[in-house]
Amino acid sequence: MSVPELQGPGLWTTSVGSLPKPDYILEARKRRARGEIDGDELRALERKATREWIEFQNSLPTDVVVDGEIYRGDMVAFFAEELPGLEIGGLVRSYGNRYYRKPIAVGPVGRDHAVTVEWWEYAQSLTDRPVKGMLTGPYTICDWSFNEHYATRRDLVLDLAKVIRDEALDLERAGAKFIQIDEPAASTRMDELDLVIEAMQIVTEPLSAHTITHICYGDFHNAYPKMLEIPVDQIDLEFANSDYSLLEAFAEHPFTKYIGLGVVDVHHHAVEPVEEIAAGIRRTLEHIPPERVFVDPDCGLKTRKVDEAKGKLANIRAAVDLVKAEL
Amino acid sequence: MGIRTTVVGSYPKPPEEGGQFVLRKTIHALDRGEADADDLRRAQDELVREVIAEQEAAGIDVVTDGQVRWDDIVTPFARRMAGFEIGGLLRFFDNNVYYRRPICTGPVEWRGPMSVDDWKAASEAASVPVKAVLPGPVTFAHLSIDEHYGDHETFTLALAEVLAQEAFELQAAGCATVQFDEPALLGAPEDLDLAKRAYGILTRDLEGAASIVATYFGSAKRLGRGLFDLPVDGFGLDLVAGAENEELLPELPSTMRLQAGIVDARNTKLEDTDELARRIASLAATVGEERLSVSPSCGLEFLPREKARAKLGRLVEAARKVEGR
Repeated sequence: MSVPELQGPGLWTTSVGSLPKPDYILEARKRRARGEIDGDELRALERKATREWIEFQNSLPTDVVVDGEIYRGDMVAFFAEELPGLEIGGLVRSYGNRYYRKPIAVGPVGRDHAVTVEWWEYAQSLTDRPVKGMLTGPYTICDWSFNEHYATRRDLVLDLAKVIRDEALDLERAGAKFIQIDEPAASTRMDELDLVIEAMQIVTEPLSAHTITHICYGDFHNAYPKMLEIPVDQIDLEFANSDYSLLEAFAEHPFTKYIGLGVVDVHHHAVEPVEEIAAGIRRTLEHIPPERVFVDPDCGLKTRKVDEAKGKLANIRAAVDLVKAEL
Repeated sequence: MGIRTTVVGSYPKPPEEGGQFVLRKTIHALDRGEADADDLRRAQDELVREVIAEQEAAGIDVVTDGQVRWDDIVTPFARRMAGFEIGGLLRFFDNNVYYRRPICTGPVEWRGPMSVDDWKAASEAASVPVKAVLPGPVTFAHLSIDEHYGDHETFTLALAEVLAQEAFELQAAGCATVQFDEPALLGAPEDLDLAKRAYGILTRDLEGAASIVATYFGSAKRLGRGLFDLPVDGFGLDLVAGAENEELLPELPSTMRLQAGIVDARNTKLEDTDELARRIASLAATVGEERLSVSPSCGLEFLPREKARAKLGRLVEAARKVEGR
């Protein structure tokens, strides 16, 4: 297990990945889609927004920083745009009034250039605290894409695993000490959890960074404790959205890894009060010691308004400080 | 009499590439307080007309309204009957699609028609029969959190009473086919006896309308032929995600209809028409043409619009090939 290189007694704060795109980015993306501005202009604005989010995290401070993924449309489409073999498909609904362009595997998946390293380097240049390398896991890219090429899902997942491993190695060479490989789809099919594990083994086997995976909105109670076999150092899970019901499972089967503890609901506008967040952290500490706990939102905050996200992150910081003072 | 074609329920809401997505814009405007309920209703009505016209143009014999007014199969009903609040997001089976979980906090009660006006509007817009779709009570219970009854059977049977009233109202409005969606039953063989009782309630007063139990997203192997003991007129089986469902077909009682899902509604890869035709011919040989409808494997909303339309076109083309042989 890779021990995080961080100061203090634990209870570190972080974010799951995405942060809200400010209005000027939403506007710029539309203008880029209409051909009214070029890629360089959009990129300059994305760098500005990234810098603003890093400055905000520095101001709290957040212990392990994210770049906010301002430059990503969504976590799968971003890789689909960059990787040979994947194409961006048509619009499908994910929930409510939200839609995404679902990628299609149209040929053998490969990688002809590093796709996240430049953004990671830029973000890391703006802070003294570690910035997480953020990747989408092979199982999730497969599960959230159509497949018109591969004979089986497994074939596609294992090819993607090699691609994501190479990207992770590039991040590590660039200096990333924390690498997160998100697998929100991992809890979808219990009969494919072994495939999730097999693919993650390919990705993390050569890495020495502290590795994390984020899993959400699924059947945790069936996936646990089996999910502990996923070969990463830390598993990041949503707790606020399910009123900490997973803690009951931890009472039966101890949680053996570092945990990313989601303490604010990313689908509610209201900012959770500090005391409510602190209460959730205290409940968790009955099951997992503080030196194994990272505290963050349930999921990426990109669906929230900028002010809502800032409020939630600030209250996480305040709640963590409150609980740490009690240790 | 040829081989009937139908759909399972949902249809993509987004327009084809380059089209105006009026419904999405209207809902955004509604959220910002810049549109009202009438604007939403108009946008939905327009989309219902559009998706019905598209199904008819593809040559589908029995259509639906595409469920374009719904976010999922349960919350439209949970919001309109007594006894529910709406909770947090959860994955909808094994799809990258999420629904808000209904939370039962009091006795469930039918308070008035929940889907009849929508069915009437669709029926007026269509020149072919429109099938009504209701969530099945077993699936409804599985997708919800019960904080009131404290007993899965009691909860499920209470839902069956409410849905029976709704099905009766649909029948009274002139609906000839009511489909009950039961994807959750596939993973809950222990509920089969409960389902029999629930469907006894649901079909008690359904004499004029045909009742179909639609399963999808998987195999009915764990239910076995016991599935066919439900007192309904026919079954929908997903022969894509549950290829082995084919083995159950010889067991289908001779009085019952089969709605066979043979086109993959969850992947964009287009089926070969000749292969589909061979599949249909083989199904017709097993259960008889007069008892057979063919359909996509599940609702079409998992596909982009143009793919859904292309797949329906191929389904109809294949069915006509078999008729013309």
